[in-house]
Amino acid sequence: MKQELVKLIDLSRCTACRGCQIACKQWNELPASKTHNSGSYQNPPDLQWNTWTLIRFQEHVDSKGTLKWLFRKDGCMHCTDAACAKVCPTEALYHTQFGSVSLHVDKCIGCKECIVACPFGVPKYDETTNKIYKCDLCYTRLNGNQPPACVQSCPTGTLQIGAKDAMLKKAYSRAKELGGDANVYGDKFVDGTHVIYVLPEKAEVYENLPADPKVPLSIVVWKDVLKPAGLLVAGGVVAGAFLHYITKGPKTPDEETTSEGGKQI
Amino acid sequence: MTNHYIDLKNSDCILIMGSNAAENHPIAFKWILRAKDRGAKIIHVDPRFTRTSARCDYHVPLRSGTDIAFLGGMIKHIIDNNMIQEEYVQYYTNASQIVNPDYAFNDGLFSGYNAEKRGYNKDTWTTKKDEKGIPVRDYTLQDPNCVYQVLKRHYDRYTLDKVSSITGVSKENLLKVYNEYGATGAKDKAGTECYALGWTHHTVGSQNIRAMSIIQLLLGNMGVCGGGINALRGEPNVQGSTDHAILYNILPGYLKMPSGSVDTLAKYNEKNTPKSSDPMSVNWYQNYPKYSVSFLKAIWGDKATPENEFGYSWLPKIDDGKHYSIMHATDQMYAGKMKGFFAYGSNIAVSSPNSNKVRKGLQKLQWLVNVNIFDNETASFWKGPGVDPKTVDTEVFLLPAAASMEKEGSQSNSGRLVQWRYKAANPPGDALSDGDISMKIMDAVRELYQKEGGACPEQVLNLKWDYKDAFGKFNALKVAQQINGQYVKDVTIEDPTGKTPPEVNKKGECVPTFVKLMADGSTSCGNWIMGGSFDQKGLNKMQKRGKEDPTGLGLFAEWAYAWPVNRRIIYNRASCDLEGKPYNPKMKLLEWVGDKWVGDVPDGPAPPMADKEKGKYPFIMKVDGVGALFGPGMVEGPFAEHYEPLEGPLAKNPMSAQLTNPAMTVFKSDLDKVANADAKFPYVCTTYSATEHWCSGFTRWQPWLLEAMPEAYVEISEKLAGSLGIKNGEKVKVSSIRGEVKCVAMVTKRMTPFTVEGKVVHQVGMPCNYGWFNPEKTDNDATNLLTIAVGCANTFCPEYKCLMVNVTKA
Amino acid sequence: MKKGMIKATGPAERVVHWCVALSCLLLCITGMGMMYHSLNFIGTLVGGMGNLKLVHNFGGIFFTASLVCTILMWWKEAGVFSFPEDAEWIKAAGGYLWHVDNVPEVGKYNPGQKMFFLTVALFGAGMVVSGFIMWFPLGFSVKLVRLMYVLHALGFVVIFAFFFIHLYLVTIGAPGSAPAMFTGWVTKAWVKKQHPKWLKEMEKHGTLVVSGDEKTS
Repeated sequence: MKQELVKLIDLSRCTACRGCQIACKQWNELPASKTHNSGSYQNPPDLQWNTWTLIRFQEHVDSKGTLKWLFRKDGCMHCTDAACAKVCPTEALYHTQFGSVSLHVDKCIGCKECIVACPFGVPKYDETTNKIYKCDLCYTRLNGNQPPACVQSCPTGTLQIGAKDAMLKKAYSRAKELGGDANVYGDKFVDGTHVIYVLPEKAEVYENLPADPKVPLSIVVWKDVLKPAGLLVAGGVVAGAFLHYITKGPKTPDEETTSEGGKQI
Repeated sequence: MTNHYIDLKNSDCILIMGSNAAENHPIAFKWILRAKDRGAKIIHVDPRFTRTSARCDYHVPLRSGTDIAFLGGMIKHIIDNNMIQEEYVQYYTNASQIVNPDYAFNDGLFSGYNAEKRGYNKDTWTTKKDEKGIPVRDYTLQDPNCVYQVLKRHYDRYTLDKVSSITGVSKENLLKVYNEYGATGAKDKAGTECYALGWTHHTVGSQNIRAMSIIQLLLGNMGVCGGGINALRGEPNVQGSTDHAILYNILPGYLKMPSGSVDTLAKYNEKNTPKSSDPMSVNWYQNYPKYSVSFLKAIWGDKATPENEFGYSWLPKIDDGKHYSIMHATDQMYAGKMKGFFAYGSNIAVSSPNSNKVRKGLQKLQWLVNVNIFDNETASFWKGPGVDPKTVDTEVFLLPAAASMEKEGSQSNSGRLVQWRYKAANPPGDALSDGDISMKIMDAVRELYQKEGGACPEQVLNLKWDYKDAFGKFNALKVAQQINGQYVKDVTIEDPTGKTPPEVNKKGECVPTFVKLMADGSTSCGNWIMGGSFDQKGLNKMQKRGKEDPTGLGLFAEWAYAWPVNRRIIYNRASCDLEGKPYNPKMKLLEWVGDKWVGDVPDGPAPPMADKEKGKYPFIMKVDGVGALFGPGMVEGPFAEHYEPLEGPLAKNPMSAQLTNPAMTVFKSDLDKVANADAKFPYVCTTYSATEHWCSGFTRWQPWLLEAMPEAYVEISEKLAGSLGIKNGEKVKVSSIRGEVKCVAMVTKRMTPFTVEGKVVHQVGMPCNYGWFNPEKTDNDATNLLTIAVGCANTFCPEYKCLMVNVTKA
Repeated sequence: MKKGMIKATGPAERVVHWCVALSCLLLCITGMGMMYHSLNFIGTLVGGMGNLKLVHNFGGIFFTASLVCTILMWWKEAGVFSFPEDAEWIKAAGGYLWHVDNVPEVGKYNPGQKMFFLTVALFGAGMVVSGFIMWFPLGFSVKLVRLMYVLHALGFVVIFAFFFIHLYLVTIGAPGSAPAMFTGWVTKAWVKKQHPKWLKEMEKHGTLVVSGDEKTS
C-alpha cells in the first residue's frame, strides 16, 4: 500500500545537538572520517558517502543587525521528481511506496550521474566500493513501522515524520505561528519533496540551500527530450530508408557493359 | 532542582544564566522549547552566544564572573519598582524579621571578618527573637532593620550604571531582562532560572545561586509550577552522586560530615539538629538524630548499638577547619603528603584545574588506581608530555570499568527523580561494574585485616558488607534497599488514642518513608532522603513507569520515585496563599480542600498558615519555616556581594575595596601563580564542555563524536582576531601564567568584546574536553593546564569559568 | 576473384574503418543498455551493469583511438569539400533521394560521405570529450558535466541516426558498396556509377589497380 510520508524539519526548534547526525551513522553503520576543526562546529565539512545527514552551522546577521546562528540539517530531500532517480541508468535509485527515494546499493555502478543531477548535492561517491550512498529515509525502519533513526533521536521535536498532508498542515501552521520570514520549503518544487523544512529565515539566507531548486534543464533535455529522440530519430531513419528503398529504389551501378565514362541516366 | 525538568514547560519566563542548556542538557531543553511554545520568554545571559542563545528569544552577553552584579541590579530593580509578590514576601520569607543591630556591611566586608583566617564569625548574622525564642516580625516591612529594608539598602549600590560598567552589559539590555523577569512577580506568573556549571564554577559560585534565590523569593517564584531555581546537573549522575555524598563534607542525604572535635554522637546530633520555638515552624531537621542513627545502623549493622553510640566513633572525621576537595587533595599530592590515590571514574590530569600541578602531584604518589572505561591522561600520566617515565616511581593500576549501560542501578536526574536503570549489555573483557570493583577490593582488604590486622580494624571489619547475590556478584538492589532503610527488628507502634489497631513492622521490611525512621536503632537507612524509594514489602518504586498525569502539570507521580517522598516540586505549599488557594488558579499544583491538600505530595499535611492553631509555614526545611532572603548559611555573608574573580581584568573591584571573595581559600604552592590585571595576559577566558564530548573527554575514543568535534579550539571574537591578525581555522597558542595549549582559532561573531569600567575587555572561550592521549596523535592538551586552582568558598568547586590568558599565533 | 575488379580501399583503411564501425556500434549498444532501462538486459550479457559501464568506458578508448586514425587517414580526402561541384551535388542530394538528370561527378568521396565523415569526426570528438568528463565527473564543475550529458546524448542521437543512413546506403541503398569494406575490390561499374571522377583521376594518374593485372600497374 502506498502511503506518502513526509519528514518535517522544523529548524526553529533545532539546537544543533547533532543527535541525528550520529544516530544516522549508528543505525546505518557508517564509519567516521578523520576530520579537522576548520574554525566551525560543522563537521564533517560536507555530506559524504559515510555522512548522510549533517548539521550545517551558519552565523548570520539579519537586516536589523541581530546575530542569528542558523542550524540546518542537510540531507536527501526525497523529491517526487527526483533528478537522481531520473538519471540513474540502472534503477538503483528508486521511489519507495512511501515516496522516499531509496537505493539498491548492489545495482549502483558508480556512474555518478545522480551526483551531478541532484539539485541539492546529496548523493556522494565512495571510491573503495565504487558506489554512491545517500539517505534512504531509513527505508527498513519505515517498513518496520519505525521512524527514521534521525527522527527517533531528535530530542526537541525538530524532526517529525508522518502522513504528507498532516505534516504539510503542521509545517504551514508552524510557519504562520513563527511569523516574520518563516516559510515552508519543499512542497513547491520538484513536484514536492518528502522532506519539508520550516525555515525561520528566507531560503536565500541559508548556505548550500537552493532557493528555487529544480531538476536541471540539461537533465530534462537529456532524459525527456534526447532520450526518446534517440529512438524516434533512429526509427525515423530506418523507416525513411525503407520508404526510400521501396519508392525510389537503390542506386544500383549500371551494367558492366556500359561504356567507359558514359554519362549515367 | 527545586522543581523538575518537565515543569520547565509551565514557566512564563525562563532565565538561562550560568548554563548552556541546549548544548549540555539537550534532552531537557525540549521542555524549555515547550514553554516557548506556550509563549514564555526565554532569556540567555552568558559570555558566549551558544546553541542555547540561538533558540532563546534573545541573548545578553555578560563578562565572565559578574553574575552577582547582574543579579544584584535585578534585586534593586525589583524592589525599586515594587515588582515583588508582596504577600509571599511578607509571609513566606524572612523579609519581616528584624536583623541583629550589630550586623553590618562595610565596603565589601560583612561584620565579623577575620582577615587572618580569611573567614567570618557569624554571630551577628542573626535575626531578633522574642523571649519565647520566636522571631520578631514586622509584616509591614517598614522597620528600618527588617530584612527587607536591610536587603534594599545592601543592593541600593547596584545601580544600572554600576552594573553595566562591571558586567559589560548595556543598560538597555539590563532593563530588558529586569523588566521581563521582574514581571513574573505577578501572583499568577512564574519565572524560573536554569543554571549549571556556569554559576558553580566561580569563587562566588554558591553566592551566585543565593542571589538568584533572593530574586525568586521576592517574586514569589519558589515552590510554584514553572518556578524554582533549577540546577541542571550533569550526565555523570551528578545529582545521584551528590545525594549519596560524593563530596567530602557531607554524609549521604546531606547529613553533615563529623569533625574531630565532635567526638560523640550526642555532640554531633546536638550540633546539627536545629531548634525552633516557633509553633508554626515544622523545622523538619529536628528529626536529624533519626537520620544519623539510622545511617550508622546501615553502615555498621548489628555492630552498631546504643552502647557504642551506634559506631559513631568509627566514622572517619575531618579535621576541624580543614577541607578535602580535589584541589586540596592535589595540593597535598604536590606537597608530597599523599601516598596513594583512587581516581575512580575520573581523569584529574585533564579535569582538575591547574593540571600541571596535578600531573606533578601524580608523580609524587606511591601508587595510583584509575578506574575507567578507557585509558586516559591520568592513568598514563607517566608517559605524558614532558614526563620521563624513568623518573616516575608511581605504580599505576588501571582497572577496566563497566560503562553506565553495562550495569544495573538507580540514577537520579536533576529533578531528584530516581529511576531504576537496567543493564543493556555485559561489560567487555575484564571490565566490572564499580560495585563489583569495590566489593573485590574491600573483600581483599578485610581478608588481609582478618589475617594480619591493621590500622583502624573496627572500621574495616565492622562494616556491614552483605551486598552480594547468590553468585557472589555485587547486587545493586540490595544496596538500594539498604539505602532506602529497613526495620532491623520487629517494631510495633501503638496508636495512643487506641482507635486504630497497632502498626506492626517486621524485621527486614523496608521502611516505607523516612517519616518512620527512629533514633533508637530500630531502623537502618543509608540515605534518609531515599527513605520511601521502596514500599514496605520491598517493591522498588524507582521501577515504576506509570504515565498518568491527572494534574496536567507534568508531575507524573507514578513514574519512578522523586525524593523526598515522591514530592515533585519542593516547597510546594508556597504556591498557595494563606488560605491554601493556589496563587495561579491555572496551575493548581496544590490546593487546601476541606481538611487536606490535593495535588502534588505536599510539604507535610499541616494546614495552611491561615489556620491559627495548626497552620504551618511553607518552608519546612528551614528552621524558621520561611524562605531566607537573609541567609546566614554561606561563609561569605548573608547577602550575595559582587567580588571579582581571583584572576580577572580589573585591579580594583568597582563595588568595594574588597577585590576578591574574602572567604575563599587561596593555595600557596609555587605552581599556584596568579596574574590578575596583568598586561601579559589581557583576555578573559572561560571554559566549558561541548555537546559532543563528555567531561574530560573519554568520548574522544568514540569515532563518530571525534569526527563531529575533532580537536581543541578557542572561540575568539572577530575584533580580537582582527587585531591579532589571526584567521579562522588557524592554529594558535593560548597561554596563562600557569601553562599553555595549542588549539584551533574559531573566529566567530558569537563572541563580542565588553566595555568594562570604560575599557574594552576581550573574552575568549575554550572547551575542556581535550587532552594529549588520543586515538591518533594530536598536539592538543588539556585546557585545564591554563586554569586556576581556586574555588567557591563554600563548596570548593573550582573557578573554571574565569582566568586570564593571552592568545598568539602558534 | 573476378577479373577487372577495381581496388577501392587498402588494408589499413579497411581495418580502421572496421575499428571505428565496431567500436561505434559497441558504444551505441552498451550506451543504450544504460540509457534505456528496458535495454538493461544488455548488461546481463556482459555480467551486469557495472561491467557494461566498464565495456562502454574502455570501448570509448578503443573508439577514441580508431577515431583519431580515421580522422588522420581520411581528413584530406573526406574532410575537405571541393567547390563548386560538391555544392551542386548537395543541391541534387547526389541523386540519392530523388532522380536527378545531372549529378555532378564525384571523386573518391561524395559530399554525402564527406558530411558523414565530418559528422562522425565532429560528434565523435564531442562524444569522446563529453564521455571522458562523464567518466570522471567529480573532477569538473557540475554545470559543465550537466552540459556534457546533453552533448553526449545529442551526439548519440545524431550518430545513431547517421549510422542507420550509412548502413542503408552501403547495403541495399547503393548495392555494390559493401565489398569495399570487406575485400577492397569493387566493380568498375560501381565505381563508374558512384565515383566517376575518382575513376578518371586514378586512370589519369595511373594509380588504378585492376585485379588480374596488378603487376602491370
